[in-house]
Amino acid sequence: MRMADLIDANPNLLLMLQHFNIDFRVSDQTVLQLCNGKGISENLFMSIANLYNGFGSKGDQPFTREDLLQVIEFLKSSHHYYRSDKYPQISSYIRQLQEDHAAKELRLLEKFFNEYFTEVLDHLDYEDNVAFPYFIMLLDKEKSAGEGEVYTSKEYSEHHSDIELKLQDLKNLLLKYVKIEGDLDLRRRLFFALYELEYDLYIHSLIEESILIPSGIRIEREQHV
Amino acid sequence: MYKSPLHIVIMESSRIIFEGLQTIICQSELDCRATRIETLEELTDILETRKVDILIANPMQFINREKELKKIRKAYPTLSVASIDFGILLKPSVLTDITFTLYDSASHIIHTLEKLERKNQSPSQLKSESDNLTRREIEVLTGLVNGMLNKEIAEALNISIHTVVRHRKNITAKTGIRSQSGLTIYAISKKIVEIDDIEI
Repeated sequence: MRMADLIDANPNLLLMLQHFNIDFRVSDQTVLQLCNGKGISENLFMSIANLYNGFGSKGDQPFTREDLLQVIEFLKSSHHYYRSDKYPQISSYIRQLQEDHAAKELRLLEKFFNEYFTEVLDHLDYEDNVAFPYFIMLLDKEKSAGEGEVYTSKEYSEHHSDIELKLQDLKNLLLKYVKIEGDLDLRRRLFFALYELEYDLYIHSLIEESILIPSGIRIEREQHV
Repeated sequence: MYKSPLHIVIMESSRIIFEGLQTIICQSELDCRATRIETLEELTDILETRKVDILIANPMQFINREKELKKIRKAYPTLSVASIDFGILLKPSVLTDITFTLYDSASHIIHTLEKLERKNQSPSQLKSESDNLTRREIEVLTGLVNGMLNKEIAEALNISIHTVVRHRKNITAKTGIRSQSGLTIYAISKKIVEIDDIEI
């Protein structure tokens, strides 16, 4: 299976490549060749590609420690995409909309988005500074198991707040309730950006829930036996 | 569309206050007539034969009569209640929709009554336009938007917290909006609350 064909079938996979830090010029390489060249296991690559293609992960396959470290790098890279690309883009569209239209709701909408953005940044910071370092420590075989642990995967899964909900609110408000006259170009760009963000956030939480958290719990269990 | 004049009933034992209010109301642009009553019984009698849109009352008259007023409000859901705030701290309550003080300007008082009038004429409109939120759900939503906690809403509407939670779930199911700030924008877009009432 050639990577270029897969991208043709689902261009969203470009975003996945970017999160894996793989260049878009994939030539005629097959998935296996691409993975081998990048030192990524085909199992991990296909599991995530399946999520992007809407197939759900292939259950509880054991992922290696190396896989999981790559998952963390992948998630960190997607954080970068949210922080410095998608959210600023959406923010600028909403700002523009607010400046172009008199509807007072738009001021509230901008405030809503800014507060939401702050929450998202907090959540991303929390994952970068607390959750991911914990998983990296857990995966470090040299360290003695479980010593002085103040954190667990379960705790992470509980803290893992659903930042998709407010995004859903924002979409619904724009689709169903807030009246804005015209400006369809800007509004379409805003919608597309929101849907792109929603899609990637969805995959992001699927990866955390179906790969990272179950694997973390499994490793914790093994260490405590 | 023909609209009958607003019928405003003023329940206030002070003649000075009644006549003052009557003058303000009659000199305004509001198309209305005002009736003076002294007791809740009189209100019940009037309601049996005529429609009353707004009751303006001295809240002292509600003390120990809460149950009766609640019953009246239940039987006549389109009746709005404005209470005169004499500076006595009263809990926000299901008994009244809005308050003003005797020191408010005439235009403020009229503005307050106009707001009530809009609320009055729209129950059917609200029903069809507000994604079929019930009157109770709209009341819970208004509380939420004003930053009240579930417990406070429960007390104000005299229902259990459990019921408030159930209303909240229904509001979210009907509107598709979960967050409180999102619901605020919804309520403004649907004109359930005025944007001027919300701090930005």
